[in-house]
Amino acid sequence: MKAKTVTNFATTLGVNLFLNPEVIIEKNGRFYLIDAALRPLMGRSDFFYAGLFLGKAKAGKFFPSFPFLSFLAKKNANRIVVDKKAAWLFICGRPLFAKSVVRVFGSGKKNTNVLVLNESGDCLGFGRITGDLTAHSEDGEIAVRCVSDVGDFLRRER
Amino acid sequence: MSGKEFFQDRYRQLGWELYEVKLRQAIRINNTCVRGKNIFLRLKSIGLQLQKIPFLQAGYWVLDSPVSVGATAEYLLGLYSIQEAAAQIPVSLFSQLRGKKVLDCAAAPGGKTVQLADAMENTGGVVALDVDKKRLTALTNHLERCRITNTVAYVLDARQAPSLAVEFDRVLLDAPCSGNFAADCEWFGNRTLRDIERNATLQKELLTKASQCLSSQGELVYSTCSLEPEENELNMDWAINNLDLKLQEIDCYGQKGLTKVFGKKLDSSLSRCRRIWPNETQGFFVAKLTRSKGHES
Repeated sequence: MKAKTVTNFATTLGVNLFLNPEVIIEKNGRFYLIDAALRPLMGRSDFFYAGLFLGKAKAGKFFPSFPFLSFLAKKNANRIVVDKKAAWLFICGRPLFAKSVVRVFGSGKKNTNVLVLNESGDCLGFGRITGDLTAHSEDGEIAVRCVSDVGDFLRRER
Repeated sequence: MSGKEFFQDRYRQLGWELYEVKLRQAIRINNTCVRGKNIFLRLKSIGLQLQKIPFLQAGYWVLDSPVSVGATAEYLLGLYSIQEAAAQIPVSLFSQLRGKKVLDCAAAPGGKTVQLADAMENTGGVVALDVDKKRLTALTNHLERCRITNTVAYVLDARQAPSLAVEFDRVLLDAPCSGNFAADCEWFGNRTLRDIERNATLQKELLTKASQCLSSQGELVYSTCSLEPEENELNMDWAINNLDLKLQEIDCYGQKGLTKVFGKKLDSSLSRCRRIWPNETQGFFVAKLTRSKGHES
């Protein structure tokens, strides 16, 4: 069940992920991938955070962590590369227009999730495709709505 | 017993004349995250002017920045951390961190925890403890941002660390302390000798428990950002006389530890510690300890 919550999300990005359920621990709705070297240090079960944080489940919905999104980016997930200006706007939670999409990898279908990468290959978060990614008109419709972006680290500090 | 004049007089007795200092902002490159990326070119392209800090491996002074260094994409991607220069020293004193079992006793907000994990290249394991859940949340955000995968964090008073039943190869005790005026402009008005003595007592308790978690070949680094000898040299003198620990020679920025404090003569090995009076960095004190038996000097 724990692994399924995580792998189901990966599927929405076009990645068929196999995770050994034994390496995943769920605690208070938060999912962690625990490395074998860390296990001997976890004698107490009341930990607050451990290993690679994969994300959290709330009201039946999975919210992935940024390290997990970066991991999926390396697993050939559906992803787009955006230009410098759009990359910054995305981090600020703003939507993306097709003209700022530099490359598309994998499915670019409407109403699917897609990872958003900058031109250096860093995963900035993910969004929902709402328009045509290849429409290059100046006054184009919104192509991707931001769902989660690394600017969240700043928002958490407030 | 408090106030600027009181402390000024104490520092004078310790051989240092108080003057106004202006701290320089510093960052530390997270080497594990930047692998394969040209971080310096990227930072330069957003207008960040950096200068290598000569006494640190991955530390850089921020000479100029058109934007807040805590709000760049590179920061949010964990490519660097904002970490005061002197605060980068304690972790740098450990030998061979890769694959080790490491205890970080008072870990929040997590700058040194991330530095440890980065130096370990995400191998081995770090146990990070802190009593304050809110501060530990800040630590876990830091771990997530910097893609740390080898750390487990507990809401736990480090005085209960022996309950983990783990022998650690490396123990970092960056002890809760009175701080110093360079990092807090209200410091002289807020601190009394009584606060310092209370902190020194807590630090001794933490040292006792931290040393119980240390393996026979292990290394314990003790640090504070206090300038007060009660929290530094006097605690180290107490530790080597009461805890089966000895001080190791360290080679880092700062002056030799004091061997005479307010007329009291301390063990000569106290000179192996380093006392960093505020200048470009904030004030700091660092020492490296190992077991008295079973570890070569």
